[in-house]
Amino acid sequence: MIRLARLGAIGLIASVLAAIGAEPARLPADQLAKAVRSDSISIPTPGELFAALEKPGKTDWSGQYRGPIPVTYRNRAQIALNLGGLIADGFVAVEAKDSQQVKNIGSDIIKLAKALGVSQNLLSRGNSINEFAENNEWDTLQEELEATQNEVKSSMQSHSDQDLVILVSLGGWIRGTQVVSGAIMHNYDERSVSEQLPGIEKLVSFPADKAPSLDEVRKVNEAVGKVMEEIENKAVAK
Amino acid sequence: MKRCLLIFLSLFVAVCIPARAETDAEVQARKGTLDLAGAFSNDGFKIRDGHWCGAVKPHDHALIAVNLYAGNQYWFSVGANEPAKKIAVSVYDETGKQVTTEDYNAGEKAAAGFAPANSGQYFVSIDLVEGQAGSFCLVYSYK
Repeated sequence: MIRLARLGAIGLIASVLAAIGAEPARLPADQLAKAVRSDSISIPTPGELFAALEKPGKTDWSGQYRGPIPVTYRNRAQIALNLGGLIADGFVAVEAKDSQQVKNIGSDIIKLAKALGVSQNLLSRGNSINEFAENNEWDTLQEELEATQNEVKSSMQSHSDQDLVILVSLGGWIRGTQVVSGAIMHNYDERSVSEQLPGIEKLVSFPADKAPSLDEVRKVNEAVGKVMEEIENKAVAK
Repeated sequence: MKRCLLIFLSLFVAVCIPARAETDAEVQARKGTLDLAGAFSNDGFKIRDGHWCGAVKPHDHALIAVNLYAGNQYWFSVGANEPAKKIAVSVYDETGKQVTTEDYNAGEKAAAGFAPANSGQYFVSIDLVEGQAGSFCLVYSYK
């Protein structure tokens, strides 16, 4: 009996040591390189980014509004970029819980989508956005905006307009970067930036081991501001 | 700054894969996945309007890249169809190291919960633990 107990104890100790010493599983680099990258899963939505940004403290979302943009562009690429930017604006208005702003933006989204010939299925989305905004259903509104964005993209894909799908995503993230850098700039907190933005550091080529300074955030904001001016510029529309 | 925009552009160009038509089995798997993900909605998690469906084979895994934000919490929910009997979901960081997750396993459905300490790229792996090759669908929720 004592021998059995000893064997049991040795077995237990060996298991514990094995567990302590066990390295977590690791995937080799060649497998990581082969991982699927899909627009509908791999690219985070603006809503996710804004949700993370809100964690350290209250953000002045309405301070990041911009004036109305023209909705009469003729160049399809420019329309797609602006459509992406407007969808990002929609997420900002939802975060600000501003029903009138959501309705205005929803209406502009439909106008631009019409110009791209993807409006048929979207008309009902526009009505839903208005209804949810009137009833202050903010979580549902965020889901509706994501669904609208996906519907625009899948409609474009069905017309083999893959380039426009990319431009919608790009327009959304340029505007999103402008909003996020603007919000950080107006309420700069080095600790929050260090905690929240290491991934963004990589994207915008800041040194990997250092949080971006206020001046660096300002430079990013100015740069995307200039890009946004070009995107919104009615003069370049052909 | 041109370099920044190039990085952004390459990111979007690299990830935008044209959609393909889904099979009936994938649609069924998606239904089961949404049932599972719906349970997390009660805890305030929002289901992202997007999904990834495919096939998983024995001794193989399906792997997808995701970009997650520190401060958010995530649940990755997966549902599979017969003849797949048991699946598992695991999450890896950008170096390929497996991260600790809160796991839910119920045969053909599984989920992994994770709150990243750092924003960045992660990888979600779907493994077939028991059964034969079958269709699966992944959705994720966040709050």
